Amino acid sequence: MIKALRRAGDRRRQSGGHHAWRFEPYAGSEVIALDCETTDLDPRQADLVAIAAVKVRDGRVLTSESLDLRLQRPDSLSSDSIRIHGLRGVDLLGGEALGDALNTLLDFIGNRPLVGWCIDYDVAVINRHLRPRTGFDLPNRTIDVCRLYARERRRAQPDVEPDLRFEAMSEALGVPVMGRHTALGDAVTTALMYLRLCRGQAASA
Amino acid sequence: MVDINLSQPPFSLLDDKGRQRVRDGVDLAYFTESEIILDAGQRGECVFLIHKGEVAELDLNASEGDRRIGHYTAGDLFGAISILNGTSRYRFQAEQESLCYLLPRALFEDICQAYPAFDDYFRQHLAEKARYLLERRAEGGLSMARFMLARVSECMRDPLLVEARTTIAEAVTQLRDGHADSLLVGHAGRYGMVTKTDLLDALVQQGLPHSAEVGGIAHFTLVTVHADDYLFTALVSMTRHEVARVVVMEGDRPVGVVELTDVLGYFSSRAHAVSLQIEQAEDIEALTRASARLPQLIQTLMAQGVKLRFAMELLAALNGRIIHKAFRFLMPEERQSQSCLLVMGSEGRGEQILKTDQDNALILADGSDWPEIEASMQKLTETLGALGYPPCPGNIMVSNPQWVASESAWRGKIARWASSRDPDALMNLAIMLDAHAIAGNAGLLDGLREHLFARGSHDELLLSYFARGVLRYSTPLTLFGTLKRPEHGIDIKKGGIFPIVHGVRTLALERRIAPTSTFARLDALVDDGRLDRPFADDLGEAMALFSELRLRQQLESLETHDTSLEPNRVVVQRLSGFERDLLREALHTVKEFKQRLSQRFHLEY
Repeated sequence: MIKALRRAGDRRRQSGGHHAWRFEPYAGSEVIALDCETTDLDPRQADLVAIAAVKVRDGRVLTSESLDLRLQRPDSLSSDSIRIHGLRGVDLLGGEALGDALNTLLDFIGNRPLVGWCIDYDVAVINRHLRPRTGFDLPNRTIDVCRLYARERRRAQPDVEPDLRFEAMSEALGVPVMGRHTALGDAVTTALMYLRLCRGQAASA
Repeated sequence: MVDINLSQPPFSLLDDKGRQRVRDGVDLAYFTESEIILDAGQRGECVFLIHKGEVAELDLNASEGDRRIGHYTAGDLFGAISILNGTSRYRFQAEQESLCYLLPRALFEDICQAYPAFDDYFRQHLAEKARYLLERRAEGGLSMARFMLARVSECMRDPLLVEARTTIAEAVTQLRDGHADSLLVGHAGRYGMVTKTDLLDALVQQGLPHSAEVGGIAHFTLVTVHADDYLFTALVSMTRHEVARVVVMEGDRPVGVVELTDVLGYFSSRAHAVSLQIEQAEDIEALTRASARLPQLIQTLMAQGVKLRFAMELLAALNGRIIHKAFRFLMPEERQSQSCLLVMGSEGRGEQILKTDQDNALILADGSDWPEIEASMQKLTETLGALGYPPCPGNIMVSNPQWVASESAWRGKIARWASSRDPDALMNLAIMLDAHAIAGNAGLLDGLREHLFARGSHDELLLSYFARGVLRYSTPLTLFGTLKRPEHGIDIKKGGIFPIVHGVRTLALERRIAPTSTFARLDALVDDGRLDRPFADDLGEAMALFSELRLRQQLESLETHDTSLEPNRVVVQRLSGFERDLLREALHTVKEFKQRLSQRFHLEY
């Protein structure tokens, strides 16, 4: 509700600017699978370390048309998160400035829907950094594979609480984990899970 | 980033830069089960590399059974040929849910251009595949295709080169020594052909003297082929030029001659070639090589649809020649006329299909003196083992002194067996009835068989005991006349083959019929009036069917090296409906035969 209001506000404010088209509903058949590596699990504190996005079109994951951005070292980069994503301070030398990276990302995703595993978290982190710079949140429609999966599982087995962990989901869906905790790897895996879920529905329907 | 293994060919033919291009360029696609990935006639847009899953390649024009021409699993690559050809000739369909990397057409073509080795890999693949498919598709199965694809070099013989000054008389000697039909005459850098017909013409029609030079009668316009040409091409040019041989040239030098008879021999499933190899063998090694080709020969014959009965006869004849030759190599001349080597059991009946155990025995002429006989026989058994005939588990072999005896000793044995009628004796009699002379003095066996018939054919008690063996195994039919279907299969040898063979053998003993093959015995029994023609034919057909089912399993286990496959067990559930009907009919024939024998020999009690 608040999100919708906020988006309406953003849209009105941007209506004359060059970002206006981002608020148009998307008519094509592509979606973008998105994943971020961050320094924290709390979106209110997390800083971005890497962002990856990959296009999905006609049932294909277009890894040849993907975006893989490493950012400059944020101050909050701690040993805890390095243990997870494996990007050390030195790995981020020569990374892009956050502002440039966000612009590249915006251009890449356009107004296409975004797919992700717990996409709300990624979008929240991005929005926290995006709003101060551009004055709006990501307006794109979001599709959470977690929710798609949970819905399908509950339909199949109403009594069993689905296991929504990333690895468990990818295993249950028979999707290979491409490179866990690298932004692009997770994005590609997510894209495959999304395709699998879409096809699964088509097949069972 | 993409998790793609590029260390396998063809990607191993690229350098790091090339591999990186592939890695950056590929997409991923997910296909559900039985989804058509690339349909026949569709334009090839990308090369597929399977990351997970299985994909089948289907030929839509083929009949239902042989549609599947290819199968791809993780790590395999397909679709490249569709790009090279423009469109896909076959349908690629996911057999399981599959995840594939897609290498777009443009990138693939770029890489092919940049890396010639990569390009070659696919073109070569294409040629190999075409060859493979041609083999599969060719009419008449594998053997036909093998012939079609054989090269001239596989079938040519060395040329007999002579000078133009050679006389006709010398030429004739050369032809005879070389077992050849034609000579090549070299003259001033050119080559001409002289055939036997040319020589005859020159001598008889033109009346030339024996001392005339062959240069004068040679034909210098040669029909030539290249050693790498298909044998088929050679056959075509022979037909076209109405000649019986072509010369194989390499550059301007003749390297061989292909004779029409050789081509036809090659064509006729090489049965002729194998028998020739056996006849030409001069020592045990050559014989072993020839003997090793027999299983393949049978496979080819079966693929061509030759009737099993004739295939068995051919094989029995070839096996006979091999053993005969081995005997001749090992035994001194004077011993050969004094003795007679017998093969017995299925080999004696000429009914074994693949090589069976050696069941053999030796009859010595009375009064012959052969002190070192045991050592010689031991050697013979070992040699046959080396030739690919495994030793008999029941030890019915010449290496066992029990099965080597003089004529009179054999007579005594037979008399003892016939009067004792215990199971062992009856089995030995049965073995003896199937004995077939294979080397040495065959007259010795004829005398012995006469004795056996004289002793046995009127002895009703012996016949009755003998015939009882037919009932030893039950026919695998249910009360309602349908096939029994145990999971481990029905024993076709005990339930089908044995009753027919033994029943016919009993009747042969009763009617004094000398041939040993079941088919020949059946024919003789019909002539004798003991069996009516239709029933004998039914029995023969049943016998052929059982043997064929058995052979098929044997060949299968030979191909897959799966020794666990029990050749005598036929699992009914795996047969087609038609075969099941045939098998049921055949078993009913067996049942009826058993009933007739029971009545004739009073086996009910």
